[in-house]
Amino acid sequence: MKSRSCSVEVTTKSIPGLSDSKGNNIKKMFISDHNIKIHNVKIIHRYDIISNLNSEKIEKTVYDLFCDPIIEHGIANLHILNSDKIFPLQPDLHIHIGFKPGVTDNAGKAALDGLRTIYPELNNSSEVFTSKIYLFWGIPDDVNIDEIADKLYNPMIEHAITTKKEDCLIKRWGILRAPIKTTQPFKSIKTINLNVNDNELIKISEKGLLALNLKEMKTIQLQYKDEEVQRRRIELGLPSDMPTDVELECLAQTWSEHCSHKIFAANIHHVDNETGEDTTINSLFKTHIVTPTLDIQKDVDWLLSIFHDNSGVIAWNEQWSLCIKAETHNSPSALDPFGGAMTGIVGVNRDILGTGLGSKPIANTDVFCFGPPDYKGQIPTGLFHPLRVLRGVHSGVRTGGNESGIPTVNGAIIFDDRYIGKPLVYCGTVGIMPRILKDGRESHIKTPSVGDIIYMVGGRVGSDGIHGATFSSLELTEESPSSAVQIGDPITQKKMIDMVLEARDSGLIQVITDNGAGGLSSSVGELAELTNGAFLDLANVPLKHPGLSPWEILVSESQERMTIGIKEQDCKEFEKLALLHEVEATIVGEFTDTGSFEVNFGNKTVANLPMKFLHDGCPQLELESEWEVPTHKPIQFPSNNPENMGNILLRLMARPNVASKESWVRSYDHEVQGQSVIKPFCGINHDAPGDAAVIAPLQGQTQGAVISNGIVPRYSDIDTYAMAAASIDEALRNAVCVGVDLDLIAGLDNFCWPDPVESMKTPDGRYKLAQLVRANRALDDVCRAYQLPCISGKDSMKNDATINGTKISVPPTLLFSLIGNHKDVRKAVSSDFKTIGDIIYLVGETHQELGASELAFMLHDETNGKSGIGGQVPQIDATRNLALYRSLTNSMSNGLVASAHDCSDAGLAAAMTECCFGCDSGAVLEISSLFNHNKNLDIWGALFGESLGRILVSVKPQDSQLFEESMINHECNKIGKVTSNDMIIFNNRDKIILSANMKELREAWKGTLNGGNN
Amino acid sequence: MKPKVAVLSGFGINCETETIAVFEMAGAIVEKVHINKLVNGSANLENYHIMAIPGGFSFGDHLGSGRLMGNRLRFGMREQVREFVKSGKLVIGICNGFQVLVKMGLLPGDEEVSLNQSASLTINDSGQYENRWVNLEFNPDSNCIWTKNLTRIRVPVRHGEGKFVTSEKKLLDEWDKSGQLVVRYVDPSTTYPSAKDNILPYPLSPNQSWRNIAGVCDPSGLVFGLMPHPEANHSTWLGATWTREGMEHGEGEGMKIFRNAVNYVIENFDK
Repeated sequence: MKSRSCSVEVTTKSIPGLSDSKGNNIKKMFISDHNIKIHNVKIIHRYDIISNLNSEKIEKTVYDLFCDPIIEHGIANLHILNSDKIFPLQPDLHIHIGFKPGVTDNAGKAALDGLRTIYPELNNSSEVFTSKIYLFWGIPDDVNIDEIADKLYNPMIEHAITTKKEDCLIKRWGILRAPIKTTQPFKSIKTINLNVNDNELIKISEKGLLALNLKEMKTIQLQYKDEEVQRRRIELGLPSDMPTDVELECLAQTWSEHCSHKIFAANIHHVDNETGEDTTINSLFKTHIVTPTLDIQKDVDWLLSIFHDNSGVIAWNEQWSLCIKAETHNSPSALDPFGGAMTGIVGVNRDILGTGLGSKPIANTDVFCFGPPDYKGQIPTGLFHPLRVLRGVHSGVRTGGNESGIPTVNGAIIFDDRYIGKPLVYCGTVGIMPRILKDGRESHIKTPSVGDIIYMVGGRVGSDGIHGATFSSLELTEESPSSAVQIGDPITQKKMIDMVLEARDSGLIQVITDNGAGGLSSSVGELAELTNGAFLDLANVPLKHPGLSPWEILVSESQERMTIGIKEQDCKEFEKLALLHEVEATIVGEFTDTGSFEVNFGNKTVANLPMKFLHDGCPQLELESEWEVPTHKPIQFPSNNPENMGNILLRLMARPNVASKESWVRSYDHEVQGQSVIKPFCGINHDAPGDAAVIAPLQGQTQGAVISNGIVPRYSDIDTYAMAAASIDEALRNAVCVGVDLDLIAGLDNFCWPDPVESMKTPDGRYKLAQLVRANRALDDVCRAYQLPCISGKDSMKNDATINGTKISVPPTLLFSLIGNHKDVRKAVSSDFKTIGDIIYLVGETHQELGASELAFMLHDETNGKSGIGGQVPQIDATRNLALYRSLTNSMSNGLVASAHDCSDAGLAAAMTECCFGCDSGAVLEISSLFNHNKNLDIWGALFGESLGRILVSVKPQDSQLFEESMINHECNKIGKVTSNDMIIFNNRDKIILSANMKELREAWKGTLNGGNN
Repeated sequence: MKPKVAVLSGFGINCETETIAVFEMAGAIVEKVHINKLVNGSANLENYHIMAIPGGFSFGDHLGSGRLMGNRLRFGMREQVREFVKSGKLVIGICNGFQVLVKMGLLPGDEEVSLNQSASLTINDSGQYENRWVNLEFNPDSNCIWTKNLTRIRVPVRHGEGKFVTSEKKLLDEWDKSGQLVVRYVDPSTTYPSAKDNILPYPLSPNQSWRNIAGVCDPSGLVFGLMPHPEANHSTWLGATWTREGMEHGEGEGMKIFRNAVNYVIENFDK
């Protein structure tokens, strides 16, 4: 039957007491982000429907499906704007924005599903495309109309058409045509001639976005000269001495930095000009990450699965295990903040689903690094203002997490100028699974056998997300491809999660992994290692649109897909389950033991790659590393009279890094799944910042899990060893603040580095690699000392952007995430002071450590760089810290601690302020004991220094003696009391050194990022 | 006897875990039932006493929260739902489940269970999705089975579209008179009962719902829906400020609602 084209347009009714929130949101955004005050904005939602339904049938559905009969107007096949009743006044500006062809349109997909509910006869080729029409009234005269649309759409994924006032008056609206994707002609496989010179090899890699270096290209060249290989290829009917495009692409994906972590696996020649050390490190990963964990594994019995699966697994109790993973999605988030970030969060959810035989995601964490929200400088072409990146990324993670029903329990937002080139978007997920399935198998071990059937489950494959893995292994340029951007579809994924977990519990799943970077080439390619081979038929893979060539199907990173191995006898039941959940599950291959990854397209063999070459063939990088102590100007301190110190505290509280992010955090669901014990906010007004999250995942039971994060990229400017040590300590300190069980803690390392490979483009590569070496050594030392094994991790090594000839590199950044046990959540402690009169203690040693502190950066920014950030960066004494943490958590389980708060960014003064927010109180402090303990300390260091291992604690007066006894072997300074007045007053030997008003502090802290006040 | 509860699942419903838990804690036998099982006949509502539609993001809230899921029920299993309600059995919709019940016309509903939509839940005035704790007050004069003897509780809201509105204001008066305006946002500094029609300031009213309405029931009092999440406060340690309160730990403030329903079934169906 012929397809018909219809449209439906919907807009909000004007009813007294009903505001047009969608329009108002746009108005608010124009004021806050661009200082443009528009009188009124309204939005029309448009649906273009291509289907076998006639227009009469579509008209009947307007008020059943497309619009709400109570609050919306809807109309079929006409422009709603032409109705004078609904729009008596023509707009001054009309902008129609819709997706480009092929971009994921989740609302369109939902509308199609809704149409099928009403008309089951709807045919399979039907499509619904959604778009939005923005109507503006009262735009100030000095605003350039042409720039309005730019602020609303992303040309990477959307089209826009603007109709100005004169055309609006005569109702000549510019309407986009539905973005029907033209069928691309099918391209059959090609062979690539590698019998060429080195220059040509490099050109092949660059032109094909393969991201393979010369040595790797030559290794591939050599492979195809091997006589044994050639003989075998002739038997298979493959070109004997050159790879097919399918093979070369598959190798490029598997060998990409993104998938194979070549820099962490490299052989590094490391020179330290400070100490004279000259040494070789064979793989940072093996030396400093795997080995310490294996050593710790000898002493504990709860490390179930480390490093080799999609996430690390620990035994949480006899019945249940927990797993955790964090991912970054930096490059896609730079290009399309919303889509990039959403695929980041739903992607890492799939890592959890793909762990062992399938794990249930129960908590998300998100940590973002952006340019400053108030950035006034030039924004390079092709990039967005940091505030727009923040909005988009936040919205993407919110949509992905909330719609998936996974609470976002913990996170952070960090700001620094150097994240303008590439924002960092870290998305983490925690999962839970029963340790033993009903059929007796241990859930953390995959059990594939030769002959098991390979299914692709979930979404279909499209041209979106081709070359994501190799693209993220390159730096960002103006020519970065739009096909590397995808938009997630959380509902398709949620249906798949529901279905997969049921399949797991029914014992159907033998092996499972997700399709992320590298698509099927990675997922099937990697699982094939377990049986030593796999066969894949690309012709069976369901496509979003026809015409994809075999290599595109193999490497496409289209979202929401799992690869699952099922025993032949279980296939029927598995497919039945898929049908019930309306999840697509398609047989695409089977596991073999042929020693090869064999790929067909129908009857034709299109790739045959020996497993050994695919996975072990990539040559090791040889890299140079050279450490040089950087020099920085010292801090120039202003006057330190008490009022000025109060004002400095006020300015620190307003710094974006310190300021309240409440309104951003509140729009994440942090309580779904009914397990949230310590939430992101606490205190009498629910607005004081918490430290770690505590969840009680088993309904009604009191054993808990603690989730925390540590990240301090500032310190990298002085020393990445200190940076990494501080990140780990921060994560652990946060966990200690809520009372973590220190005998069951595990970590995740997540490195985001600028390119550390010396080259023409990166002349300082040796230094950047030395920074990586030092960070890894800190990870090794500190994790061993804390008995805190890393169980999984990730690295992203090309966080540079070259735009208009200028290179912007992110500061070397390590996110350390922690998961730990909590023995009894009823004993968990929150950060807010509890009662007026409670005694305040600072536990842990305070040193004169202001180098690269938040204070140093603030003074640097305020003096345009006259004041430096130099000085002593916080040093770690992990053994001392751990002993203190043990005593403190013991006191907590004995109920002696009323509150505990991490003392970090902006030091003791800032931590004190935050604790007071939670109690609507003030505090009077006497900190002379700090100076008694450390003769080098001055009041700047005491108030704003960021020494590690310190926690601000409050205790009920009647518990103070017992508390002090419990901390007898540690530095424990009794420094003051919670007071009912509105002031924070710090004294030194009875002399006031800082005085500040709580109301003003609260306003400063909440003012910067709209914290709590939208 | 143990009442049997069908907790619906699928298509983006995501609060089924805790919804199952609260009914189990209240003493019921609970089954998670995929909606397609009710549509294709492999399960039937007549085997249950209570139907619960948990919170979530069914169909991603596209085309309006609850719309597409409401249509699955309204078009796919219309008579099964009507029979269930007419036979005096209990229904609860929480958050997205409430949106589903409103959009499919089961709430505020009518005596005939005609499934015609008469109210709606629209975007919060703040313009954004929010997770925050609120104070609720229950109407002492309502005949709602679920809220018997409840006065005030603290629970979280977690929604972007929770503002209760209708096309004709006089309907609000009718629902008020019939006791269908069961639960409202309230200022905790006032004494019970003091729920008012004047809209409370944000964030006491998180969404600026008309008359501070947080939830309604149908004329029979058997079908109940609300935007806030009582199932999220099933244990004291899930509260927003429990670390400040030095309480005895145990059952959370939201549990009474589910106990009311389970007890009602025991009293009325145990024959």
